Amino acid sequence: MSGLNRVRPLRLVWFVTWFNVRMLLTSEFFILTTFITPLIFATLAFLLFRSGGGTAGQTLLYVALGSGMMGVWSTTLFGCGGAIAWQRWEGTLELLVNAPSRYDFILAGQTLGTVVLGFYGIVATLAWGVVLFGMPIEASFPLMLPFSLLAAVISLGALGMLIATTFVLYRHANALGNMLEYPIWLIAGLLVPISALPFWVRPLSWLVVPTWGIEAIRGAAIGARPPFGPIAMCLLLAVVYYLLARLMLVVVLAKARRDATLTLQ
Amino acid sequence: MTGVSISVPAVRIRPRSARAAWRTFWHGGLLSYGMLFNWARPSIYIPTLIVGPTFQLLFFAALGSYATHRSAAYFAIGNAVQASAIAGVFGMTMAISNERWFGTLPAILATPANRLALFAGRFLPFLANGLMVSLYAFGVGIVFLGVRLELRTVGVAALALLATVFSCNAIGALQGAISLRLRDGLFGANLLVMAFLLFCGVNIPVAELPGWMQVISNLLPFTHGLQAVREAATGAGLAQVGGLILLEVAIGVGYAVLAFWLFSYLEHSSRRNATLEVR
Repeated sequence: MSGLNRVRPLRLVWFVTWFNVRMLLTSEFFILTTFITPLIFATLAFLLFRSGGGTAGQTLLYVALGSGMMGVWSTTLFGCGGAIAWQRWEGTLELLVNAPSRYDFILAGQTLGTVVLGFYGIVATLAWGVVLFGMPIEASFPLMLPFSLLAAVISLGALGMLIATTFVLYRHANALGNMLEYPIWLIAGLLVPISALPFWVRPLSWLVVPTWGIEAIRGAAIGARPPFGPIAMCLLLAVVYYLLARLMLVVVLAKARRDATLTLQ
Repeated sequence: MTGVSISVPAVRIRPRSARAAWRTFWHGGLLSYGMLFNWARPSIYIPTLIVGPTFQLLFFAALGSYATHRSAAYFAIGNAVQASAIAGVFGMTMAISNERWFGTLPAILATPANRLALFAGRFLPFLANGLMVSLYAFGVGIVFLGVRLELRTVGVAALALLATVFSCNAIGALQGAISLRLRDGLFGANLLVMAFLLFCGVNIPVAELPGWMQVISNLLPFTHGLQAVREAATGAGLAQVGGLILLEVAIGVGYAVLAFWLFSYLEHSSRRNATLEVR
C-alpha cells in the first residue's frame, strides 16, 4: 500500500468525524443530550451526595467525572443507535454503501464524531462543579490523562459502531436507547461503585466499555496508581467491538442487498 | 354533457350541542391516543415505558441509598410516581403537537367542533396510561425495593397519584401547545421530565434544595402530589394530605387553563398570519 493510500482512510475518518460533529450540533435533541442533560444529572448527583451529609467517601471530582460519562454514554447510545437508520431516512445510505470508500470507515467516523461530541459533557460537568460547587480540579497523573481520554474515546467509538450495526435491525432504535440508558449508567459504576452492586452484576460491568473508560479517566484524575490496566482494557475491548461491528455490518449489508431492503424504512 | 343528480341526505350538524361535544371529547380523545401518540405500539411502548422506568427505579434506588443512606423504598416511590410524568408529558405533547406534524391540524381547526371538548378529550387516555405506568413501577418497587403501602390509606395514595398524573398531563398539554410553534417539541418535554427529577422531591427532599430551587419546586406540578403520595403511603389520611392533593389539582387546572388559552391563541394567530402549515 502506498503512503497516500494509507493516509486516505484516516482522512476519510477525520472528515466524517468532523462532519458528523457539525451535523449533530444542529439537532436540538443532541444539544440537550450533550450540553444540558449532563449538567442536570451532575447537579442532581452533587445535591444527592450532599444530602447524604458527605460524598459517601468519594470526592466531588469523582461525582463530576461520573456524571460527565453519563452524558457521553447517552450521546453515544442515541447518536450511534440511529446512525444507519438516519442515513436510510435521509436517502444517503445507498450512496455511501456503494461509494468506492469502505463503508466501515465512514461509520467509524460517524460514531467517533458522536463520541467526541459526547465528551464535551465531561468538560461541562467539570466546569459546572468548579463554578457552582467549588470543586477543586486536580489530577494524580496529569500526563496519563490524555491517554486515558483517548482510550475512552476510541473504545466508545468502537462500541458505537457495534450499536449502530445492531440497532439497525430494530425498527425503533430510539426506543432501545431509552431502554439502555439507565442500565449502563448503573452497571458501569459511573456514580455507584461496582463494588456496591450485587456480585452477579460485576461480570456484566467488565464487558461494557464505559466501565473501563471511567476507570481510566478516574485513575488518571484521582487514582492512587497509573491506570494502565483500564487503558489496556479499553483498547482490547475496542478491538473486540470493532471486529464484531465489522462482522455485523457485513451480515446486515449482505442481507439488505439480498432482500433489496437497503433503503426500506 | 349529461349530469347525474345525486341526492345527498341532509345532515344536521349541531356542533354546539352537548352530544357533539361529548363525541368530540370521547372519540377524539381515544383517536388522539391511537393516532398521535408515537409510542402507542409495543415495540416502542415496552422499551420506553416499561423497561426504561424499571431501570430508572433501580438506578436511583442504588444511587440514592449509596449516596444518602436513605432506604431504597424512598427513591422507588419518587421514581414510580415520576414514571407517570414520562407518559403524561411526552404523551400530551405528542397528542397536541403531532396534529401539526402529521398534517391533520388544518382539518381539525377547520371543523366547528367544540374546542374545549377537543382539548379536554386528549387528557383521558393519557391519564389512564400515566396511572398504568406508575402502578407498574410501584409494583416493581414493592417486589424488588421494599416499598410498603399502608393498606388503610392506599385509597388516599391512589387519589394523590391521580391528581399528580393529571397535573403532569396539564403541563404536558402546555408543552404540546408551545410545540405547535417549535421545531422540536420533545426538547421541552425532555427538559420538563428532567426538571421533575431535580426539583420536585423525587430523589432529594424539597426542603434540602437551595431556596431558589424550592421556589421553582412549588410552581411545578408534581411536587405536592408526590409529597401527598409519600405521606399517604406511610399512613396519612385525607385529613392530613387533602390540602396537598387540592393544591396539586389547582396547579394542574392552572396549567391546563394556560395550555387551552395558548392553544386557542395560537389557533387564532395562525389563521390571521396564515402560518397554520408553516414549520
